[in-house]
Amino acid sequence: MPTITIDNRTVEVEPGTTILDAAARLGIHIPTLCHRQGVKPQTACMVCVVKIAGRKGLLPSCATIAEDGMVVESETEEVRLARRMALELMLGDHVGDCVGPCQTTCPAQMDIPGMIRLIGEGRLAEAVALVKGRIPFPAVLGRICPELCERACRRGRLDAPVSIKLLKRFVGDFDIWAKQRHLPVCRPATGRSVAIVGAGPAGLSAAYYLRIAGHSCTVYDDRERPGGMLRYGVAESELPHWVLDAEIEPLERMGIEFRAGVRVGEAVSLEQLRARHDACVLAVGDVGEWVEGFAGVPVEGRALAADRGTHQSPLPDVFVAGAALTPSRYAVRAVAGGRSVAQALHLFLQGEQPAGAERSYSVHIRTMDPDELEQFAADTPRHARVKIPTGQPGGFTEAQARMEAARCLHCECAELDTCRLRRLGLAYHASTTRYHGERRRFERDMSHPLLVHEPGKCIACGLCVQIAADSGEQLGLSFVGRGFTVRVAVPFGRPLSDGLREAARACADACPTAALTLREHFPHSSLPEPEAPAPRFRRRRRMLRRPFGRLRGSG
Amino acid sequence: MATYDDLLKPASAQTADAPALTDGAPTPCGAPGAMVSANADARCIGFVDRVVEQLGRQADALIPILQSIQKRYGYLPREALEHLCEVSEITPRDIAGVSTFYSRFRHEPAGTHVISVCHGTACHVKGAPLVSSALRRYLRLEDTQTTSADGVFTLDSVDCLGCCTLAPVVQIDGITYGHVTPDGVGQVLTDFLELARGGGIGAGVESGERTPGGLAEVRIGVGSCCIAGGSMDVLTQMQEALGRINAPAVVKPVGCVGMCHQTPLVEIEKPGEEIAVYARVQPGDAEAIAYRHFRPRGLGGRARVAVSRAVDRLLTDENWPPPDRYALDVRDAPVCAFLGPQRHLATELYGAANPLDLDDYRAHGGFEALKRCVTKLSPDGVIDTIERSGLRGRGGAGFPSGEKWRRVRAATGERKFVICNGDEGDPGAFMDRMILESYPFRVLEGLAIATWAVGAHEAVLYIRAEYALAVQRIWEAIRICEDHALLGDNVFGTGVRILVGIMEGAGAFVCGEETGLMASLEGRRGNPRLRPPYPSEQGLWDCPTLVNNVETLALVPTIVRNGARTLAELGTGLSKGTKVFSLTGKVRRGGLIEVPMGITIRQIVEDIGGGVAEGRSFKAVQIGGPSGGCIPAELADTPVDYEALNEIGAIMGSGGLVVLDDSDCMLDVARYFLQFTQRESCGKCVPCRIGTRRMLDILDRLCTGHGRIADLDELEQLAGMVRASSLCGLGQTAPNPILTTLRYFHDEYLAHIEGRCPAGRCKELITYTITDECIGCTRCAQQCPAHAIAFTPYEKHTIDSSKCIRCDTCRQLCPTDAVRIQ
Repeated sequence: MPTITIDNRTVEVEPGTTILDAAARLGIHIPTLCHRQGVKPQTACMVCVVKIAGRKGLLPSCATIAEDGMVVESETEEVRLARRMALELMLGDHVGDCVGPCQTTCPAQMDIPGMIRLIGEGRLAEAVALVKGRIPFPAVLGRICPELCERACRRGRLDAPVSIKLLKRFVGDFDIWAKQRHLPVCRPATGRSVAIVGAGPAGLSAAYYLRIAGHSCTVYDDRERPGGMLRYGVAESELPHWVLDAEIEPLERMGIEFRAGVRVGEAVSLEQLRARHDACVLAVGDVGEWVEGFAGVPVEGRALAADRGTHQSPLPDVFVAGAALTPSRYAVRAVAGGRSVAQALHLFLQGEQPAGAERSYSVHIRTMDPDELEQFAADTPRHARVKIPTGQPGGFTEAQARMEAARCLHCECAELDTCRLRRLGLAYHASTTRYHGERRRFERDMSHPLLVHEPGKCIACGLCVQIAADSGEQLGLSFVGRGFTVRVAVPFGRPLSDGLREAARACADACPTAALTLREHFPHSSLPEPEAPAPRFRRRRRMLRRPFGRLRGSG
Repeated sequence: MATYDDLLKPASAQTADAPALTDGAPTPCGAPGAMVSANADARCIGFVDRVVEQLGRQADALIPILQSIQKRYGYLPREALEHLCEVSEITPRDIAGVSTFYSRFRHEPAGTHVISVCHGTACHVKGAPLVSSALRRYLRLEDTQTTSADGVFTLDSVDCLGCCTLAPVVQIDGITYGHVTPDGVGQVLTDFLELARGGGIGAGVESGERTPGGLAEVRIGVGSCCIAGGSMDVLTQMQEALGRINAPAVVKPVGCVGMCHQTPLVEIEKPGEEIAVYARVQPGDAEAIAYRHFRPRGLGGRARVAVSRAVDRLLTDENWPPPDRYALDVRDAPVCAFLGPQRHLATELYGAANPLDLDDYRAHGGFEALKRCVTKLSPDGVIDTIERSGLRGRGGAGFPSGEKWRRVRAATGERKFVICNGDEGDPGAFMDRMILESYPFRVLEGLAIATWAVGAHEAVLYIRAEYALAVQRIWEAIRICEDHALLGDNVFGTGVRILVGIMEGAGAFVCGEETGLMASLEGRRGNPRLRPPYPSEQGLWDCPTLVNNVETLALVPTIVRNGARTLAELGTGLSKGTKVFSLTGKVRRGGLIEVPMGITIRQIVEDIGGGVAEGRSFKAVQIGGPSGGCIPAELADTPVDYEALNEIGAIMGSGGLVVLDDSDCMLDVARYFLQFTQRESCGKCVPCRIGTRRMLDILDRLCTGHGRIADLDELEQLAGMVRASSLCGLGQTAPNPILTTLRYFHDEYLAHIEGRCPAGRCKELITYTITDECIGCTRCAQQCPAHAIAFTPYEKHTIDSSKCIRCDTCRQLCPTDAVRIQ
């Protein structure tokens, strides 16, 4: 029986065993896309390549048979690079968005399509939880957000974008008036404490997420009430203070402390804060006027000196977030910065290398032409954007919200969490834009009763072709054409439902991307059922509390 | 110049005589197998039934079946394919997959006549893209349209017709036009339509008689280059002329002489006289040549002198303007230089043997080797001889042939196969075609010896679809051999069984890769697979299989007959014997050459090829085609040797050798090859399928002036990855043209990033201007297809750059060379 060495460990295997299987025996995982147990190796994706001593180039481990005395390295630098490039080549030739353009554009990377789906299904409490995972103040931002997401909304290329801002406001308002308000579950106390300087959107958001991570948080601000520019820089007609208060209230309930009227640098020095806490976050807003720096942290350009990725300033335990780091007048950017600094700081407090929040990993379809858009929107209701009737106070009613939610094209991918291409792309830090060339056309075939077929997402791995043949499909699937334009299709241009009868489910299961998806996984919009008219949710007659009502002493 | 409409006018006027040209029904016009409209044929069911009956119901018959259907209908009607599913055991998956894999198969009806513009390397560097766009303009084809509105012509491109010395070449329904210029495309089409109306030409070659003693021999080349040059007409004219004067001479069609730059060639050998060679002979010249050598009975002295003088006048005329006028040339110093350094082993008896004359071949020792094998020698002994000769695969990779044979012999298996790989697809290479056409018996003998030596009984030649003449000759040769018990069930009466068949390719370069080739033979898409297992263990139908290239097999009879030393004494350390090259490009004397290993590239270019044209400088050679590399002139002293060539980043390859001069842009050459490999990639593995495309994207950016310095890095990284990770040789070697040009012509890449094309090739980076040397003759203004030159007689012309499409017509027409590229 052949004995082979993989990464300096030897294993004896049955004759005919592939290197991939031999490695698995050793617990060494080699990534694959086009490989599936029980199906003939396809040697298409070339992600499973390994280096074999004495052999030229790299070889696909899924099809290379282990020979006695073989010495294999499963992941050298060369191999990593080759894998990454193979992934990048596939990602660059992939016509499909992982996450919708709205989410990619949102500075807080909020899962907008997810929110819209939950609204559409009437699962509003879940929608609140989802939104607050990225934005702690949806009712606030739902009023003052600059709607960057709506500018990116693909529906906007068709008629008018989905009213994402109003839908977000709807979710926020729902929470404010809900019987049971959303309170995030905070992790057990870590015993670490963080001082947050500035109670604006960035500072409060940082506190919110740091607290969820189990750290105790104290927010210092020289004003009397928390909210920063949200309270003192926005007209109350645009953003009523009761809304702000209502959204800040949960922070108090989470156990975040607020020290009002404390001017850091005067009443208390940064050094004192650093001594008192394990780390500091400077979320002091626009620093334009303080050319000399803030409490010992110098200014670079128009911002405090700190790494934009890690938020870390030259003082290792002092982090900077919000407009103080990335000048912007958009509150949503500050909120995003707050969450990002919380993430970086959490890592720092655990003794790890700090790193802020990354942008969501996604392939982008880029611009679509009118024909493609028509296909893309084929199964989405085509009613016009819901307008709030004149005279109706506030935002959407639930019925209006659900109607508007039905307009979403759901650009996000059905297999976002299961797509192996995406998963490996993330693991290998493969760029989705490095090899952007001329792209294929977007196509979507909904003719099959069980499946949705999006050929643009196909990586031509051949699994479905093979599975259809193995399972004795009469017509089956075939590769059509060759080279760069090779496609998987039903022979003679027949519909997919003719090609895949028995093997449909197996093919969708095997598909490493979302080229073949089960309809049941496919996100889609439909009109709310008319027989269940949801009344506008009742505003409970209760007093809204003013959070952090008591003034606390300084220092 | 007549427009396309003018051209068709007489056709519509003569509908009674030539109904075919306008009403869409196909014309016979001499094209083999007149096409039938699919609709008229009761949904082609009967025909498909008959074809299946004849060719078989199994998957391995699929490609021949599709070829038959296409031959009949001009494309593959969907009804025919669906019916094929029903009446055969071939799965719809295979039919759909295979019929769309091979580029020769059409799924849409084509025009009555198919124009194939050759895009081989030689044609490319000599302006094939300009010819293509001129044809598009002439036929008024829109962006992706390929068939003219009236359905008469379909414009197609072919990767290489193997007539590289006549570049640029255009073939219409099997009739080849050489040296086509953009402004001459109208003439070509006119000429073709006239020919088509007149009943066409035939291109068959009969098996010739042996020359009886004492008679003079008039040898006329009937290789593809010669035929393309019109040698069949010359042959007929010559026969008639000699017949008229009753000359004591025999006209003998012979294989390739190798001097393809001089086609058609006529060689006259009179007993006791020196051999005279006439080159570039036109049919009209045949009579004059005949009279010059043979005293015409009944003709007076004066007339004879007059004729001679006429010929002499042509002799001195060395400025022949192609394509319409060929002049004469005799064996002279340049010809000696061309032939001098060559050693003819694979091409033994070049230009002297009638390809299909078995007696002629046997008179020169043919089939002696096979006879000795089957009667006296042991297979192991023969394999030893092959091993000692140092023979290595001539297909490109250079694997020791003896070792390969031994492995197949040692392999256990009830059935074994031997495949002769004649799927020569490198653009710019035509060695295998010439060998198959000119020495069919030698290839068959080599194949038979190999088959016998490895213990197989079945052999097949896989020949590229574009090589119709080669296929025809090999079929004929097999039939002759079987008639003479040289092949078949009882070779030389010894009971040895060697059955030989032919498989015609269907247009896929990747089928030159041995595993792709075997997939194709099994009737599947020509996707290569991972090796090992090697074909010697698991080849065709999973049986041990020997795959050897045409040239390799052509050397075998010589080695067996004359001993291992024949090869071993020539060449360098590990590269023994000779190598056949097709020498083309910017060289004065191109052709098929066979040189001893170890000769330097400079010797080939300067001595044999006569260097580049006057006023030009030798810049580089591209060796090894799309898998090979560009060797700069500074490295031209590199010997032809497998290892030496590898060392400098090129490969021996199958033998394409394209000479480039200072007017060739190296990026354009790299891009050309990448376009080729990208088009020919089977699409199975990601690095090759997408990687080659992205490299091409980068090169496109560079060639259009949109490149950035970071692109060079990206290109190199991508090239490295594609080379390391691709599944088969096609992908692994596809980056070579880029890597070698990046290495040796880095400055040129930088120049393109700065927006300059030093060679003046990249259309987007150049402008045409007219200098003061302009005499105001208006020729350019009249012919400019974009009307970018104002008609100003006797005044200096100017070119409107915004209208100019850089078709190069003006520069080629200008009598005073006043058009310049900047």
